[in-house]
Amino acid sequence: MAARTLRVVCYVNQFFGQLGGEEQAGLGPQVVDGAVGAARAVQQALGEAGTVVATVICGDNHAAEQGERAVTELVTLVAAIRPDLVIAGPAFLAGRYGVACGALCAAVQAKLGVPAVTGMHVENPGVELYRRHVHVVQTGGEAARMLEEVKRLVALGLKLARGESIGAPAPEGYFPRGVTRNVVAGATAADRAVAMLLDKLAARPFTSEVPRPAFPRVPAPRLVKTLEGATIALVTDGGLVPRGNPDGIEALNATRYGAYSIEGKAGLEAAQYDNPHRGYDTSWVKQDPHRLVPVDVARELEQRGAIGKLHETVYSTVGVATTLAHSARMGREIAEQLRAAGVDAVILTST
Amino acid sequence: MRLELRWSGVDQLVAAPATRLAGRRLEVDLDALRTLASADPRLDGIRLDLAHPGERCRIGRVFDVVAPRARLDGEDFPGVLGGVARAGHGRTLALAGVAVVATDQQTDNAGTLAVIDMAGPNAALSVFGSTHNLVLSAWPAPGVERPDYLAAVRLAALKAAVHLARAARETEPDRVEVLELPPSPRVPAGLAHLPRVAYVFQIHSHQRPTGVDEGILYGDPVRRMLPTVVHPNEVLDGAVLRGFMGRSCTTWATQHHPVIRALYAQHGRTLWFAGVVVTVAHATEPERVRSAFLTAALVAHTLGADGAVFTKIGGGAPHVDMAQAAARCEALGVKTALVVEDMSTDGSAEGMLLFDFPGVDALVNVGSSQEPLTLPAMERVIGADDLASRLGGESRATYGTLCGAIEQIGATRVMAEVR
Repeated sequence: MAARTLRVVCYVNQFFGQLGGEEQAGLGPQVVDGAVGAARAVQQALGEAGTVVATVICGDNHAAEQGERAVTELVTLVAAIRPDLVIAGPAFLAGRYGVACGALCAAVQAKLGVPAVTGMHVENPGVELYRRHVHVVQTGGEAARMLEEVKRLVALGLKLARGESIGAPAPEGYFPRGVTRNVVAGATAADRAVAMLLDKLAARPFTSEVPRPAFPRVPAPRLVKTLEGATIALVTDGGLVPRGNPDGIEALNATRYGAYSIEGKAGLEAAQYDNPHRGYDTSWVKQDPHRLVPVDVARELEQRGAIGKLHETVYSTVGVATTLAHSARMGREIAEQLRAAGVDAVILTST
Repeated sequence: MRLELRWSGVDQLVAAPATRLAGRRLEVDLDALRTLASADPRLDGIRLDLAHPGERCRIGRVFDVVAPRARLDGEDFPGVLGGVARAGHGRTLALAGVAVVATDQQTDNAGTLAVIDMAGPNAALSVFGSTHNLVLSAWPAPGVERPDYLAAVRLAALKAAVHLARAARETEPDRVEVLELPPSPRVPAGLAHLPRVAYVFQIHSHQRPTGVDEGILYGDPVRRMLPTVVHPNEVLDGAVLRGFMGRSCTTWATQHHPVIRALYAQHGRTLWFAGVVVTVAHATEPERVRSAFLTAALVAHTLGADGAVFTKIGGGAPHVDMAQAAARCEALGVKTALVVEDMSTDGSAEGMLLFDFPGVDALVNVGSSQEPLTLPAMERVIGADDLASRLGGESRATYGTLCGAIEQIGATRVMAEVR
């Protein structure tokens, strides 16, 4: 009995959909029956295993400028075709195209429960953005060997569509997704730890079960002026919030931060503040918020002229079980606002 | 020091007019037990239920699990239930296949409740899915504050654990487990070549201050505890109890301590078990630094260890605290292996670890407590009558909410694999 032929939808940009070059990059989402442009290579690679029932095309600029709205439009179009598999790209080194492929694959997986696969060059920004959520097959930088590249996407896509188990990243040819999955090991963690220690003591090779994090070292920039002329801001991840927590900063796994004015305040009155942080004993800082955010001392230094000026906004978030991605984003956003406000240096208090 | 754990296996747990062990059937006088637990004025209303392996039953609001033990030559759970006296020597009755499960009736957030499944796929992930469980639910008397309520619940569970184990007084044990470790410097000449291994056991995290009645080490709430050397038998024999905020950690696991047992199993063969250092994770930097170097000094210079296994408790701060102490050990030439949780909150490998210290590179993990898990529908819910309709149906939970699936001290086989 022959296996059922899979319904496949391809996604391509205006160029690979043969609608035109950069001048057509503003084109909105559209559907063409069957395989057109680069999707023909997908059909060729699929052979008897599947049929490209439609090709969805969207201009690079439209996808980039409309962001989530474009993704929603595309998902609606894909949903109507009821595919078993979505193959996006490959996008090679094309950045806007790669990001759109990753976003669409992630969305059809999450919203439609349809498996999806895409392909890109390692330097395509779409890789770093979406490899955690989507199987992104590693390709070259250009479309010179289109059919060969597409064959690898199709091979992985077929496995996903058929619910077959996916092997490790290297042999399957996709970028490591960097995700963890609970499994049941052969021995208890205690037994494994003792065995690993004995190997380490005997200088035998051992494999740690946790990769060492590649935390980038961030060198402290040099303060280019003297403190007497500098504007200093106070920032904390210790959870200071005004009473009522107006920004709804989460007690753990925070995705939000707050910017709170201290204009006209010589200090922080305990009654006006609260602390939702769930990662440490907050009773002392609730009793006196200066133990976390030293506005009192900073004002004295400002008055004495030891520092030029105290920045009138305090930034605060909750730093516990926060993902690296959200930490990096919040840090970047806070830094941009501080820089725009002419702040020269920051006192960051952590807990 | 020599401890005899006199094990009696139980494969049936039934209510009966008197508590006794008849072969492998444990008969329990539930009225007598209820009276015993009700004597505490902090509690108002006690309910006892029995849950058996294979039953389509879910225990909700699990607070802690205690193994039935009764000491024949000393105080039970000294400093908390019995008087303050040293544990870890003499004979102790121990029941296998039975557990006392205490519930916390003040927890209402159904999404974060710890549960035990007696059947279905989750039963195989936790040891408590295969033990016969005496489930103790108690309600606070009017005006009783939460720390006092939890102290009373724990005390009731300890009383029940002793009551059950005492049923084995008149019977011959199935097997006698002898745990004997000589004073650490006395290594026989023929075994002097073995590497000396210590265990550093973090028994509490002060992310939450302990209550006055939250006895953890011989009844002490370990508020400003400095690293302390104890004999491993003391840990196995009731000297260390779990605090009230014990995520992914049960008193049961401590009573069966998997690291101590693993080191005992290898003692005299591939290693020399040099001893145990108990520590707490602190809330302030000076305390952390002090604790880290004192721990390393005890391990390296007092116990003279060549290697050490570390485990943690609590969340992120204790995880780093443990690693700081391990880094101090590595700096003194002591090799370390650490048992960590996968700390990632978004399932990403980059978030698994919150530290990166030189030499601290041998890491075993006990899985991710955040990973989703399906709770299948059950026919009966114990310990959470008011939430039965929600807790009894199929719902989404996490590994962290399945009591006994992840034990931070390494008792289980769940691990997070990087893909």
